[in-house]
Parts: sequence; C-alpha cells; structure tokens
Amino acid sequence: MRYLLRRLLWMGAALLGVSALIFILVRLLPGNIIDIIAGTEGQLSRSQRLEILHSFGLDRPWPVQYALWVWSMLHGNFGWSFRTSQPVAGLLVSRLPTTVELAALTVALVTLVGLPLGILASITRSARLKLAVQIVGLLGLSIPNFWIAIVLIIVASFAFHWLPALIFVPPWQDPWVNLQQMFLPILSLALGLAAVVVRMTRSSMLEVLGQEYVKVARAKGLGSRVVLLRHALRNALIPIVTVLGLQMGFLLGGVVITEQIFGLPGLGWTLLNGVYQRDYPVVQGAVMLFAITFVVTNLIVDLIYTTLDPRIRYE
Amino acid sequence: MLAQKWELSNGGKTYVFHLRPNVKFHNGQTMTAEDVKYSVERVLDPKSASPWRSWFDTIEEIKVVDPLTVQMNLNAPYPGLLGSFAGMRASGIVPKGLAERENLKIKAIGTGPFKLVEYVPQDHITYARHPDYWDQPLPYLDGMTFKILTEETARVAALRAGQIQYAYVNAQDAQQLSGVPGIKVLKNLVASVTLQYINVSKKPLSDWRVRKALRMAVDTNEVIQKAVFGAAVPSGPIPSGYGDWYLDPKTLPYVKPDIEGAKKLLAEAGYPGGGFKIEIKCSPQYPAFVATALVVQDSVKKLGVDAQVVQQEWGAFVADNATVVKSGGKEGGEIFTSGNSFRPDPDGYIYPYFHTRGSVNYGQYSNPKLDPLMQQARSIFNHDQRRSLYIQIQRTLLDESPNWWWYVPYNFEATSTRVQGYSQSFTGRRFLLKRAWLGS
Repeated sequence: MRYLLRRLLWMGAALLGVSALIFILVRLLPGNIIDIIAGTEGQLSRSQRLEILHSFGLDRPWPVQYALWVWSMLHGNFGWSFRTSQPVAGLLVSRLPTTVELAALTVALVTLVGLPLGILASITRSARLKLAVQIVGLLGLSIPNFWIAIVLIIVASFAFHWLPALIFVPPWQDPWVNLQQMFLPILSLALGLAAVVVRMTRSSMLEVLGQEYVKVARAKGLGSRVVLLRHALRNALIPIVTVLGLQMGFLLGGVVITEQIFGLPGLGWTLLNGVYQRDYPVVQGAVMLFAITFVVTNLIVDLIYTTLDPRIRYE
Repeated sequence: MLAQKWELSNGGKTYVFHLRPNVKFHNGQTMTAEDVKYSVERVLDPKSASPWRSWFDTIEEIKVVDPLTVQMNLNAPYPGLLGSFAGMRASGIVPKGLAERENLKIKAIGTGPFKLVEYVPQDHITYARHPDYWDQPLPYLDGMTFKILTEETARVAALRAGQIQYAYVNAQDAQQLSGVPGIKVLKNLVASVTLQYINVSKKPLSDWRVRKALRMAVDTNEVIQKAVFGAAVPSGPIPSGYGDWYLDPKTLPYVKPDIEGAKKLLAEAGYPGGGFKIEIKCSPQYPAFVATALVVQDSVKKLGVDAQVVQQEWGAFVADNATVVKSGGKEGGEIFTSGNSFRPDPDGYIYPYFHTRGSVNYGQYSNPKLDPLMQQARSIFNHDQRRSLYIQIQRTLLDESPNWWWYVPYNFEATSTRVQGYSQSFTGRRFLLKRAWLGS
C-alpha cells in the first residue's frame, strides 16, 4: 500500500515533468498556428497577426500560459483546439477508442502468435524449424511497419481487389465492419512485434529449461506439458510480460504513421496533425494522455510481476 | 451567381448588386442583402483575421439599399472585385449573425449546392444535397463523403477496390491508372505557378544580373521532367492558361538554358566564374518543389555557384518565409520554392509581390518604372489596355527576375467510370461536382 502511494507520487512528478517539457518543446518548434494559417500565399498584416495571437492567448508570457494550462488540466479542462475550436478533452476521448482497440488487438495477436511460436522454437529439435523462426524473426524486426502497411494495401487491392470500407466504423456500431477495417493495420503492426516476442520467448524459455528445478520436475515424473507450462513458462514469462507491456505503451503512442496510412482517426494521427498545424493545445493534451497511459501501463506491469512471481514483493 | 446583375458607377468606385430572389440557405432561411453585408463585413473586420482580406480591402462601405440590393463603395476603382467574389476563398454568403452562433471552423451554413452534414477532422467530411439550391435541378448527387486519406497509395488502392469513386492523384499514379478498366483519369492545367521567391535585399541576389544569370542556366523542361514527370507547361508570372493575361509559353525567355550568356552576365555583375554561395529552401511536403530546387542547384554549378538546398518541415518553411516578408528581407533566408495558386484577378500575381508597397514583397523589391504601371493596371477597366499593361509588366519582371517562375502543372483526378458529368476547373477547386452524377 505504501509502495503504491510512493509510486503514485512519483507518477505525479513524472507527469508534471512531461507537461513542462512538452509545453516548452511545442513552442520551440519554428512557426506557429498563424504562419500555418497564412501559408506562403495568405496575406496577414501585423495587426491581424497580433489579433490572432491574442485570441489564442499566445501573447501572454510563457509562465502564465503554462500555469493556466496546468491549472485548467487539474480541473479536467484540456483547452480548445486552435484549429477547430473543439474542446481538446472531447476530441482526445473520441479518438482514444480507435487507438486503444488497435493497440489491444495488436498485442492480443502478437501474444497468440508469438508465444506459441517462441515455445515451439525453444523445444523443437528440428533445425529447419529453428532456422525458419529465426529468419521470420529477423525479417519482422528489420522491416519497418509503414512499409509493410503499404505493401499490404497494394496486395489487398491489386491481388484480391479488396479493401474495407473507408469511413471508420466504431466496434459498437458494427463489429464485423470494424474488424475488417482493423485487419490490415493490426497485421502491419503485429508482424514486427511478434518477431520480438518470438525471440524473447525462445531465449527466455531456453534459459529456464536449462535450470535445475526443471530437471527436478522432470525427474519427479511430471508430464512434459505440465513441466513446460506450469514450471518453465511461468518463470520465463516475466521478461515477456515486460516486453508486451512496453509494446502496449509504444502502440498507444507510436502508431502515428500506421493510423495516417490507413486513415484511422486515432490519437497518433491527431497528434501528428496537431504538430503539423502547431495546434499547441491538441499536441499538449495528446502527449499528456500518452504519458498518463504509459505510466499507468508500467504500474500495471509491475503489479503483474507480483502475481507471476510471489518472490517479488514491493516494500 | 447570387447576384443576377450589377452596375458600376462613379468611375468604377461604386458597385450595385441586384440579388437573386428566393435564394435559400441550408437552414431554410431566405438570403437577403443584410446577409451579404454581414458576410463581407466579417471578412473585412481585422478581428476575423482573414488571410484573404486583401482581395476585398478596397471596399470602404457596404449599404443595404433594399432586401435584394446591395451597394458597395470602394476607396479606389478596382476591376478585380468581381473576381474576388467569384474566388471561393472568403466570398461565401452566410446568414447574418452565424459566426457569433456557430463554430464556423467545423460547421457551415451557406447557399451552395451541398450542405455540410458533418466534419470530423482527420477522418471525413459529409455533404448532403441542398434541396432548395437556386440552380435547380442541380445538384444531381444526393450527397458526398470525402474521406481524408493523405497516403497516395491508399487512395489509389481504394479507387481500384471500388471503395471510392473519386481521388486526387499525382502524375505518376495517373499514368499507371490510365487504361485500368472502370477508372478514368482527368487531366487539365490549373492556375498554380511553381516558382521561387527571392529575397532581393541581400548580395549577390540584390543584383538583377545575378538573378537573371542563374535563371538562364536552368533548363525549364528539365525542371518539369524531374518535378512532375513532364506534366506541366512553362510559365511566366501569370500562370499559363489564365484568361488571356499570360505570356505565351512559346515566347518565354530562358526556357532553354544559356550557359554562355549566363557566364557573361555574371562576369558583368562582378562575379566572373561565380564563386559565391546561395541557399534554396523547400519543404518535402511538396516533393515537386524539392525536385525543382535540386535541378536549380545542379544547374547553377555550371556557373561556379554553390547552391545549398535546405529541406524544411512545412511549418518551419512558412515561418521563415513569413520572417522574410515581415523583416523586409533582413532575416529568414534567400530563396523559397513554392507556388502561387489561383487568384481571382491577374493583379493578385503581380501587385502584392512586386509593387514597392506590396504586402508580400520579398526583400523590398522596387522598380520605380513598374510601380505606376502596376497601379494603373489594377485600376482601369478597359480589358485590352489592362492586358497590354500586364504583358509589359511581366516581360520586365522576367528580365529582372525578382522571382524565378517555372511551370504550371497539370492537375490529375481519377474517377470511377460511373462518375458522369464531372469536369475539372482551372481554379483547381472541385465545385463542378455539382454537375456530377453516378451511372450504373
């Protein structure tokens, strides 16, 4: 309990640090919303520029802007988008499900494919299978997922003349159409990540399988399945869960390009677009949301350790 | 055409517009002169901070004569005003008071053929047919949805798979798509001239001979080949194809490179054998602009000039660009690769950039002989006189090269063969979708 309290305090400190950092970083980017609105063709006079600056509150000193932002965030108000005047909190909440779904389904697929393959690779005696798993793993690690995404689109449309409906349908409206829409993005993300999990599972399992207690378990006459799953896998899982947790965090924030390619209105693309548009409230809000999900995921992963390995106790 | 007819008086300083009766807004309200006054005044109000205000800023006063008559008094005669109203940038008429009631950044009420149903940024825009559109039986389509797909590959794939019926594509994909069954590719010139703005306040680019010499070293057709795969026409300051205001591409100087002449001119300017550096900025957001900059870099090497191409993210690029204009050329950079898109009047390509008091003058370019000509060209109404003035101005500009003008690109749009009745516009806008329908 005490540990949890301490962790929560640290989380607060981390979030405050992130907020200061992102606040300064977006403002250090060359150009602001006014430059973007005017482009190279629009013609804004000096007084018009000042007028817009004022309307966005950008004419105030930075410390004042920062304090106002943090203060209103504590009250649940993330500000309003410069570009669309929509409340940022509402915008992010409407974008969150897409990203969460994408991340969760990807991690699920990665686990379902990566874990069994990794276990298989660790116990097989077939040199071919080992080699195959290694090659697939290497390819998955080295090919960037945006490239896979484009190849998948081309293959689907040219070879199969198939593409799902383009306007995004949330799963609660039509789960079947939604799943079709998610299929290619998930595949493009999962290939690379599954490779990591396969390799991780394999090496972790090999290490555990060489340990004395596994031999003891076998010597006791336990069935190989029980030895493998109850004794070996459970102990091998800790590094794998760590990797999956990190991947979840990465997916929640790092699917920017995938979302853009497939035209999925998720958080990643919203953030990227915010950066392009110098829409400070949107960028700041999205980064804070990422930071929050990241620290929370990490906390959950740390708590899962204790159930996986009762020896781990937090004081 | 929300005005049925209009009259000019007072030496071109007073416009009286007679509005079409019974034009309905998307909310069912009938459009009146009050709405016109409100909409135009909103653009003129500095608080709205419209980037297109300069198109209308000759308007001094707007009077409602009766519910269907509006009078506009100008501070100077301006023949481009009608064009500004046809320019589709800031000329939409909205119901009086709308901006105070609604968030116009994501909502809209107008008089157009389609009404905005929903705009979800980064996802889609949905329109529905406006049943009371004044130009019946248009539009034919019951509605349209624009899906935002920034990835070209995804657009082409969606078109091939039949998920969309219309897509904007680049020259390369247009080539691949032509001949694909079920898809037709449309092609036309658009009023958008690819060019390089030059900050003329700093040495050595402050010397017109240097600017002209560098321009002469570049093969315009090579630029067109590498930037847009050959799908463009060389152009002067006013885009080729723009009414009859443009210079015939056949008569344009320096379409073919003239290295010897360029070397001679550089020597005259005091730079025999080059020996100086210039910096060209461009943004990878527009691959064609980057390719253009690279061809220039490569070509001026032959003159002994070391050009550096700096690629910037778009936001950083426009910020530097704005800095040049704001600082009168003291800061920001030297050469910017960009484009001038559709302007409602030829004046828009000339006066703001090259008049001594122009609002986007890059580094205080000033030619005392040109200033009165530009002033005259934007205030007289005789077409032939105006035209000969603009031809003369453009010739002088090409000679002094305060910008380097390259080409007007073809615009490619691909549609399903089911899409009938649609045609492209020289403006590059898609307003003729109001005449489109879907066949079987």
